[in-house]
Amino acid sequence: MPRQSTKLIFKLSLFNMLLAISAVACLGQSTSGTVTMSATVSKFVEINSGGAVTLTGNSGGGVTTDGVANSPLAVSINLGELGPSNTNSFVTALVPLKLRSNASYVMSMSATVTSSGSTANRIGSADIGFGLGTITRSGVGVNTGTDTNATSGDPSLPANGSINGTTGRYEFTAVRSNLSAFSSSTTALSGPYIMNAVPRSNANGLTVPAYFAVKPQFFENGTTTISVTFTVTAP
Amino acid sequence: MRLRYFTFALLISLTLLASSSTTSAQALDISSGGQPTITGAVSGSVTGSSDVRNDLVVTINFGEVSPLNTNSIVKVVVPVAVRSNQPYQVAVSMSGLNNANPQAVQASDVGFGVQNMRVLGGAGKICTQSTHIIRSPFNNDPSSSVSVASDGRVAYSSSFANLSGSTIILSGPQLSKNNSSIRQQSDGYIFDAIFTLTPQFFATGISSATLLFTIAAGPNVPC
Repeated sequence: MPRQSTKLIFKLSLFNMLLAISAVACLGQSTSGTVTMSATVSKFVEINSGGAVTLTGNSGGGVTTDGVANSPLAVSINLGELGPSNTNSFVTALVPLKLRSNASYVMSMSATVTSSGSTANRIGSADIGFGLGTITRSGVGVNTGTDTNATSGDPSLPANGSINGTTGRYEFTAVRSNLSAFSSSTTALSGPYIMNAVPRSNANGLTVPAYFAVKPQFFENGTTTISVTFTVTAP
Repeated sequence: MRLRYFTFALLISLTLLASSSTTSAQALDISSGGQPTITGAVSGSVTGSSDVRNDLVVTINFGEVSPLNTNSIVKVVVPVAVRSNQPYQVAVSMSGLNNANPQAVQASDVGFGVQNMRVLGGAGKICTQSTHIIRSPFNNDPSSSVSVASDGRVAYSSSFANLSGSTIILSGPQLSKNNSSIRQQSDGYIFDAIFTLTPQFFATGISSATLLFTIAAGPNVPC
């Protein structure tokens, strides 16, 4: 057999082998297949209204924009008269909050108090008592955990304030019991994850009342605006 | 003379081709059944081949399944093609989903069902004496069987928790009219494998799993 012909046969054979292998590889059958999957769960926290606001001890005023449970927290309250003509011992607003998370959370608060008065007798941030009440974790899908309340609770409790013997002015004296402690974002509440693995449509969560209290006194006359922002994070 | 050499070479090649086809010839085959789809996902995706002649290699990314995803459910439909010249059964095994935290995504949180067994083209065999049986409890669309358990967690009629080892999900009579060892576009059946995940307050993290679909000779049922 001539050498050139042998080469040709060899090359043709190689070429056809490649074709055969390629055909089998492309269209060959298999008895198995795979489906791989992945999913991501990121940290999630939210704060909403826990329900309607309760305003007591007020003279005039009222709840301008009430809280609606499970809706974004956007409450507006007119505390009414805070001078001595209001003879109640305290004007107290109770704002229910609802928190939910799938991770440890921290709720911080910051507050600003602006008054039209110009003297030291105007209402200031220290005159606005603040505290968080009883923390409740209940309902299907809510994790049982222990939370840390960094405030002293209801500011109108006798243990949380008294009249200053020197100045005569009522003062909220307990730890983080008035808004001067929250002039910048400061932790008010923290704890472990709130919700077990349940869908967002589950309406349960952690509820806690936020108390705001003012002792009617001989404040300088004028108007005062208090703005409070709650923020929840998952550090 | 040259024609003789050429014929000789051709014969060798054909012998090789025949031999190679014979060694790889299979009476049972599983492949892609078409383009998979995903709905309700946030930052999720699914990749797979739209060509039924390609292998079944699908990658699902359900994306975000915390409450950050406000959709009610993430649903993925994966068409799977099967071919056989004899009774068959399809089994599935799962690996890789091993979250120790019970609040993280568990096998029971991933709905899994089989639906829509249908003929793939004119060479799909239509048998009259036996039917294709989707094994219990997988004969459902998990997106339509969502319920909330007493602990508040979402549950399905069937999920990955129903997979134990290699679990048979489907069986039946012969699937293909022809006896080709080569995949064709119209010679078997397609079914939809449906996967669902409902966004919930899961513990944070990334979860992953791998499913292995296999086809083998099944119970000897008549066609």
